[in-house]
Formats: sequence, C-alpha cells, structure tokens
Amino acid sequence: MAEFELDEDLVKRLSQLLKDADLSEIEYEAGGQRIRVARQIHQSVSAPMPAAAPVASAHLNAAPAPSAESSEPVPAGAVTSPMVGTIYLAAEPNAPAFVQVGDSVREGQTLVIVEAMKVMNPLPAPRAGTVTRIFVSDGQPVEFGEPLLVVE
Amino acid sequence: MNEGYQDPGDSPRRPSLPPAFRLVALECVGSTNDEARRLVADADAEDGTLVWAREQTGGRGRLGRDWNSPRGNLYLSLILRPECPLSEAVQLGFVAAIALCDAIGTVMPPMVEAQVKWPNDILVNDCKIAGFLLETVLSSDGSMQALLLGMGVNVRHYPEDARYPATSLRAEGAASDVDEVAVLEAFSRHFLKWTNRWLDEGFSPVRANWLHRAKGRGERIEVRLPNETLHGVFRDLDEAGALCLDREDGGDLRRIYAGDVFFAE
Repeated sequence: MAEFELDEDLVKRLSQLLKDADLSEIEYEAGGQRIRVARQIHQSVSAPMPAAAPVASAHLNAAPAPSAESSEPVPAGAVTSPMVGTIYLAAEPNAPAFVQVGDSVREGQTLVIVEAMKVMNPLPAPRAGTVTRIFVSDGQPVEFGEPLLVVE
Repeated sequence: MNEGYQDPGDSPRRPSLPPAFRLVALECVGSTNDEARRLVADADAEDGTLVWAREQTGGRGRLGRDWNSPRGNLYLSLILRPECPLSEAVQLGFVAAIALCDAIGTVMPPMVEAQVKWPNDILVNDCKIAGFLLETVLSSDGSMQALLLGMGVNVRHYPEDARYPATSLRAEGAASDVDEVAVLEAFSRHFLKWTNRWLDEGFSPVRANWLHRAKGRGERIEVRLPNETLHGVFRDLDEAGALCLDREDGGDLRRIYAGDVFFAE
C-alpha cells in the first residue's frame, strides 16, 4: 500500500464540515486511505458561576480535534478517555470490577473511573448495550481520547 | 481519638454562610459525596449547594479508602457547576486546598501553619489534618453535570492508625471554641474569596499560592502509582495541576496526574 500522505487541507475541510453540520464525526475514504475527524460536542451546563479565565490546558472541549487515522483505528462503539489520568476498573482495590466483557449495561451505568489530579471521574455508559472489549487494565495510565472499552 | 472534650451536643449553632451557599445540614449520612451526587441526580441541586453532615457512617477517601468520621469533625461536600471544561474545573481542588489553609490560619494560634500536599491534602506539623475527595457527575454524553468537592477536616479527632500520620486542630493547639461550625464558616468565606480570584485571574495566582504552601518542593519525594513507584525531586506544579517530578534515574521530567506522595524522612 502506498504511503499515507496526510492531506492537511482535507482534514481542515472535513473539520469545517463537521462544525457546520454540527456532527460529532466524519469519515472520508478513497483509494484505500481513510481519514476520520471527530470532536466532542459539549453541552455546557448553565450555572451561576461564570466561566474561568482560559488556561492553556483546555483540551476537553477542544472542538474539532482532527485525528488522521492510519495505524490504530478507534473501534466503533468505543468509549474513550475524556482526560489524561489513571484508570480504575473497580471502586476500590480488590472490589469486583464495574463491568466485564459480556456484561450488558444500561445507559448511565458506571463503566470505569478515570482519576486525574485526585478528581475521580466515574465514566457513564453512553448507551445501553453489551461490553464486548476492554482495552485497559486497572491502574493503567491513559491518554486523552484513548479507547477504554467497547459498548455495542 | 477522644480527648475528653465534652460532647459537642445535639444542636450546634447553625452555621452562618455567605449567600452564595445553600446549606443542607444533616445529622448523619453515609457519605456526603454520595448524598451530593443524589441531590444532583434527583433534585438538580444548584451550584453552591453545601451538604454538611455531623457524622458519616461510610466516609471515604481516594480509592474507596475509609475516612474515619466520628462526630466533632467537619464533613462536607460542595456541589459546583462550573461552566469551564473539566480540565480546568479540576483546578478547583487547588482553590479549595489553599482556601482551607487560609481558614485554618484564622482559627489557629499564630505560628501554626498549614501546608499542602499534592494533590489535595492539608498538613499541620507534617501530619494530615484534612483531605479532599473530588468526584465528577458526568452525563451519558460525557459532559460534566457537576463537580463534587468532598472535604473532611479533623477538628477534634484523628485516626491513630492512618496510612499517613494524622492530627487534629485541637491537638495542634486550637482554642476550645474552635468547632466544626467555626471551621465551616471560615472555609466558606475563604473558598468564595479564592474562587472569585480564580474566575477573574485564572489558575496562576492559585498555583503560586499553592506552591508557596507546598511541602517538599525542591526535595526528594516518593510517588506511588498503582503499578510503579517513582523517586525524584518535586520541581513544580504545572498549569493543569500535575506534579512535575525530576526523576532520579535521569529520565525526562515526569508529569504525575494521579498518585500518592511520600516525603523523605
């Protein structure tokens, strides 16, 4: 297969399309090459507290985050990490895992906890379904956007 | 530890809090964070709702560790609904830590100084006197509904068998009129002050104040992660709140996002 050349203009155009159409992801395939651009659509909660002054690390809300995908595709139905942190598969050491492969889950059910700066983030299932794969192990560090498990 | 102080009584005075807070006062609860989570889910509790319990039967800290919660200490969870992304909202843990240090400063005799231990613990005379447990409430679409700021302050009692040496405000010389209500009132004032500063000026003044109070900066520390233990020099706190560790084995500066810190003897 020919070397995959990243076409920046194409990524930019896809990002723009994504934003204009208010989609969460878009995939373009031609000649055996594929580019997928995804973003997180955030509904900000209305609250009396005004927004914080911006700092450099505002990666959670980063709208269109182009990710040219050549090596490891994010599988369909994957739940990805919303932040850099540490994964916990159970509420406490030696406790049973929140979910296991084969479990059916309901929407909103806690799948894993991601810890960052001592903030514990129980990740809810984005939809009802069955856990078909778990990519991470307990205590493992994870990156922003890293696939954690698949709910299908 | 019971130090023979009189029982705080069944009806402590009602705390007087700034109007930004809405107090939910409870006698006894499993865990204030769990109660706060329930109030977000069931009652859509607003920003500034403060769940205060005089006693917890299932108080917990990081990784489900028990938090000893007899009557006489302060246990609260504050429901925060910041509009900023989660990556910035985690800075509120540092805001709360320095606010509690200021609050402790106002109720303790002069010369007693509170220090912070990364990420969100408070020390007096090298012993742990307070801790935070921050948890998010995320919607199934991944957006943040609320940030729960759980806090426990050892006012009268402290555990003698904790994994990190502990103490209490009374054991460190607080006057007999310093009770959990006084600490709650002082904390709420200073938290409001520091939150406003954070909203106006960002993380920078919070980070500077936190670093000024940080124990062990520039010194050798041990960081226990779930799957490894690191040794190195505690250099800095980065803009995201990660601890920057200069590793002894000559590796790159390592940013730590979650772990337990121990200081050299």
